Order: sequence, then structure tokens, then C-alpha cells
Amino acid sequence: MASRSAPADIRLRLRPPRRRLDRRFILWQTLQAVFWGAGVLGVLGGLFWYAESWRPWLLPIIGVAAVTFAVEITIMPTWHFRVHRWEATDDAVYALTGSFTRKWQIVPISRIQSIDTEIGPLQRRLGLATITVTTASSEGKISIEGVNAAEAEVTVDRLREITGASEGDAT
Amino acid sequence: MTVSPELDSGPDETVTGAEQPWRQLSIRVVHLGLIRLVLSSVTGFAGIALRDDPVWPLVIGAVIGLLRALSDLKRWQSTRYRITAQRVEMRTGWIARKHRIVARDRIRSVDSAAQLLPRLLGLRTVRIGSGESASSFRLDALDRRHAALVQRELMPGHASEPVATAADGSEADVPDTDVPDTVIAGMRRGWVLLNAVSVWAVLAVAGPLLALYWPLKALGFDLLGLGRDLFGWDTRSLAANLGLLLLIGYPLGIAASAVAFAVENWNFRLVRTGTAPDTALVTSKGLLSTQTVQRSDARIRGIAFAEPLLLRWLRLVRTDLLLTGQGGTGEASGGGILPRIRRDEAREIAARILPDGARPLEARLRRHPHGALIRRLGWAVHYPALMSGTLTLFTVSGALPGWVWPLPLLLTPVTVPLALVAYRALGHTVLRDYVVVRGGPLTRRTVALQRRAVIGWTVRQSIFQRRGGRATVVVATSAGERHYTASDVTVDQALALITETTPQLRVSR
Repeated sequence: MASRSAPADIRLRLRPPRRRLDRRFILWQTLQAVFWGAGVLGVLGGLFWYAESWRPWLLPIIGVAAVTFAVEITIMPTWHFRVHRWEATDDAVYALTGSFTRKWQIVPISRIQSIDTEIGPLQRRLGLATITVTTASSEGKISIEGVNAAEAEVTVDRLREITGASEGDAT
Repeated sequence: MTVSPELDSGPDETVTGAEQPWRQLSIRVVHLGLIRLVLSSVTGFAGIALRDDPVWPLVIGAVIGLLRALSDLKRWQSTRYRITAQRVEMRTGWIARKHRIVARDRIRSVDSAAQLLPRLLGLRTVRIGSGESASSFRLDALDRRHAALVQRELMPGHASEPVATAADGSEADVPDTDVPDTVIAGMRRGWVLLNAVSVWAVLAVAGPLLALYWPLKALGFDLLGLGRDLFGWDTRSLAANLGLLLLIGYPLGIAASAVAFAVENWNFRLVRTGTAPDTALVTSKGLLSTQTVQRSDARIRGIAFAEPLLLRWLRLVRTDLLLTGQGGTGEASGGGILPRIRRDEAREIAARILPDGARPLEARLRRHPHGALIRRLGWAVHYPALMSGTLTLFTVSGALPGWVWPLPLLLTPVTVPLALVAYRALGHTVLRDYVVVRGGPLTRRTVALQRRAVIGWTVRQSIFQRRGGRATVVVATSAGERHYTASDVTVDQALALITETTPQLRVSR
């Protein structure tokens, strides 16, 4: 029952995937955070103004939410843009996301079950798209948000071609 | 793995399909319906005639009984089913007709159970499941012999030679056929005790007593008061009372769960059956209600041991099979394949359960770095501190009284040892065709997943993990729990794990 270890001659390391997102990703994320912040803080503020007896409970929640959204609006979009990378080769789809916590995802092409492009109203204005690669496990799902719409279309077409050629039921 | 479509109408199908007659539910369903009809008429009459004003509970009960009897009769009249070589079919329904067809190779479980009154008449309700949480077919009810016949017919391997019988029940004695069975495990007497002992055993007594207490109270009978008097509660201190209660409750609870386990797992057998490419694992068990569950070997993707903290010290494990193409959870999912047994015994059986005879669960695992321990100790302190911090905010804003905020810190004497236990549980390796990961603080899970079942990877790194050169690797799969985690390995270990499991990825990097 000896456990094998990696051959020493192959020096492995995690390399970030090659492609970056479209620059407008930053604007898109900022706008989204603004909308969310306005909505959530609006509701909380309304409650605070209306229900006097809840104020001791609401005050800390509003405080934490305000700080969180301030960070989400000012820092996070740029930070995410600098971190997020993706790549689709003939063997696998790779994605790197996250800020404090980085998340590398790998899905071998042969295990892809479906590929979707999703363009929301805000994304359409900005010419962005979200590519979603689904597998038979929810944990194996990759979402690449904020890809240039034209680039996304080309990639998805190419992936469809490759996945169509591979055999098996991807489980 | 090949999945044949649900409606596979090959040329031979029409032939065998035509040969198989439609069958009916047992005639005794009618008898049962008539008995219910009489019973509810009598109670209904009593409810109206006994006193001047009607006794409503009796009347309502009678109406429900009446409706149930009528629906029984109607169901008997409208339900037909048949089992052909390729599929199971059922026509049912009165107002809305329903015709349901499920391919034979989708059938996962066959249960046969009965309540008291139908049981006295020799009736069994047969449920045929296809791996979803709700059963696909419910035959309510067949007589005992037909229920057993359906259970036998739906065993894998019988598909090739459909049993031409018994629409009238005359020749229900099918010879126990020639399918080669390999018995992998059978019920042993020692298992009863192993499965009866648990921390919650006392609830096996307390639960039913509590359930009795409230209805009796409604009738003006104070069970608790009676118990107090009999027990002499007021003559002792609270601690002595509780101790004595546990002293009495545990043996009783263990005895009750032992009986329950023995009845449920009566004659438990795990066999491998079927001919070469088409083999399946079949478990059958049960005294009052019998259950057979079948798991095709083609769907097996691995095996796992689960060891809850206290049982781990007793060297007991629960064995789960990782199956693909399985929707539901619980019994129907076919995951839990053995009762809780000794680890050594489970290892022997596990080696025979896996079709390739591998023993990945016994592999020596690679240790995770010390950073993983430090991280867990950090969590053990940091989460209570975070809770305290949150409570402090609310204390400052005046929502909570001042003594509340330090309470979470009292958890640390528990969380710190748990962190150590959690670290010691960690491990992973790749052994020939299997990826093995182990982890979990309270319930330690050792999971051996076939390499071909890996459908993706996620590597996560927090700031601290990046600084310490560690990462958490998540294996995505379509079987079992859908993903398994190797927490806090070194980056080198992570890359080795990924490339050894899926070598084709190394080429492209």
C-alpha cells in the first residue's frame, strides 16, 4: 500500500490562467454593488425610521452592512478584475476567481455537460457576457462573469465543437 | 456507463410484452374495503344514535373510513400492472387515468410492508422505486405470495427470462431461479448490540412516553404525575433523580433499539447477483416489512466509511456506497449498504463489495502539514471570539444585557480539543484507480472515489493558506455527495493529487 508521490523532475506549480476579463467588468460590478447597496440599505433604513423599538437591533446591522457595501463598491470591483482569469484549452476549462480567498477551478472538457452564455440587461449595455460551464456535479460548475461578449461567443462555439466530439455521458 | 432510454421498444419487446398478461391487485383488497365499510357504518351509527346530539369524532371517523373504503374498492377496480422483460407498467386512476412505464434497469428498490388490518388479511403494499425520493409504483395491495413474487421477479438477472405466471395466483411458486448469487454479507447476531448502543438510546424510551403524555393529558390522565409518585421523585435531590432516570432509561432504550434493529434488519443479506456484465449488489432485509434494494455494479463509483466521534473509539463504522445516477437521498438512494459494524469486518466486506476487489480504504494516507493544525486551532478560538464580538456590538447598542457577550468564549474548552481531533482526521492519497480523502471533526469520513468518476477540481486558497503554501482541494463528482474535500494540503500535495488523479491535465499545463 505504498503511496506514490509526484515525480520529482516535474516541478509543478499553480499558474494563473491566461485570459483576463473585459475592463468594463469593473464598471459592471460597481453598478451592481451600488444597486444592491441602495436596495438593502434602503430597506434597513426604512425599518430603522419606522420601527423605533427595533433600533438597538438594527443599528449594528446597518453599520456592518454600510461598511461592507462601501468596500464592495470602491475596492472589490478593481480587486476582482485584477485577480480573475480564465482559459479554455482543448483539454479543460480553467478559471481563477476570488479576492481574499482565491479559487482555482478546473473542468476537463470530457466532463462538460452544458455550456451557457448569459447576458443580463446591464451586461448587454456594457457588451459583457457570463459563460457558465456545467457538469454532473454542482460543485464542478464554473461561472466566468464579465467576459467580452464577442470573445465569449467565439469561445462557446469552439467549446461546443470540442465537447460535441468527445464521447461518454460525462459522469 | 450506458443508460438505455426509458421507452426502449425493441422487436422482441412486443413479443414478450404481449405474452405478459395484465395483473390485478388482490381480491382481498375488496374484502378489506367491505370490512372497513361495515366498521365505519357501525361507528357512524353509534355516533349518531348513542346520544341525543351526535358524537362528532365518531361521525367524522366514520365518514373518513367510508371514503377510504370506497377509494380502496375503486382502486382495486381500476389498477392493473405488469412486469415484462424490459419494463414495469401500471395503469391506475379513476377520474384521471394514469399509465406509467419505467424501464426495468431503472428499478432500484422494492419494498413490501403492511399495516395491522391488511396484514391480518395477508396483504402487502408493494412499493417499487427508481431511485427518486418518491416511489414510482405503489401496489396497494397484493397478497403475500404475489408481493414476494414481484420482489423476486424484479431482482436483476430475471430480466432475461420473464416469469410467465400467475394472473390468477395459481402458480405463484416460482422456482428459485438459476441466477448465480454470491453472498457477500449476512446478518450476524453480534450486530444487534453494536447498532443498539448509542448516545441517543435513551430517547427510544423517552420519545414514545412523551408522545403518550400529551394525548393522555388531554383525556385528563396525568402520566407525569403518576410517574413522579411511582418513582418517588420528591424524596431525592435533582441530580440523584436524573442519574437514576438515566440508569433505568439507558438499558431500556438500548433494549428497545436492539429489538427495532433486529426487526428491521431481520435476515439481512447482501449478495452479488446477475451474469457477467450485468451484475448488481442486492440487499434484502426485514421481518414485518421486507425491503430489497439493488445497485447495479455499473453505477458504483466508490465506497466510504463514516465514523462518528464516539463510535470511532469503539472501532465501529458505517459503510456507504458512492453511486452515480441517483437522485434521492436516504434508503432509496442505496448509499447506506451495511449496518454499523466493526471496522475490520467492514474492511473485509468492503473489499468484496467493490467489483474490482481493491482495498483503497485501508491505504496509508499522506499527512497534511502542521499549518492545517494551526489553522484549526485558530478557528477554534476565532469563531467564539467572532460571536462574542457580534454580541458586544448589540450590547453597546443596548439590545442585549451586559453579561451575554462573554458566553461564546466558554465554548473554547470544547472547540480546541475538537480542532486537534479534526486535524488528526485529515489525510489523502491516490492509490491505483482510487482517490482517497479523509476528514471531518465529529464524523470522520474516509472516501475512496474511483479516478474515472472525478469530473472537476476546485482549489481554494485563503490569505493565510497562500502565505503558508497550503490549499484546499475539492473533488467534484456525480456520485455520492457530489463533492469531496481534501482540506489544507500543501500546494505540492495538491498538484500531485490533481495530476496523479487526472494525468491528462498535466500535459496541458
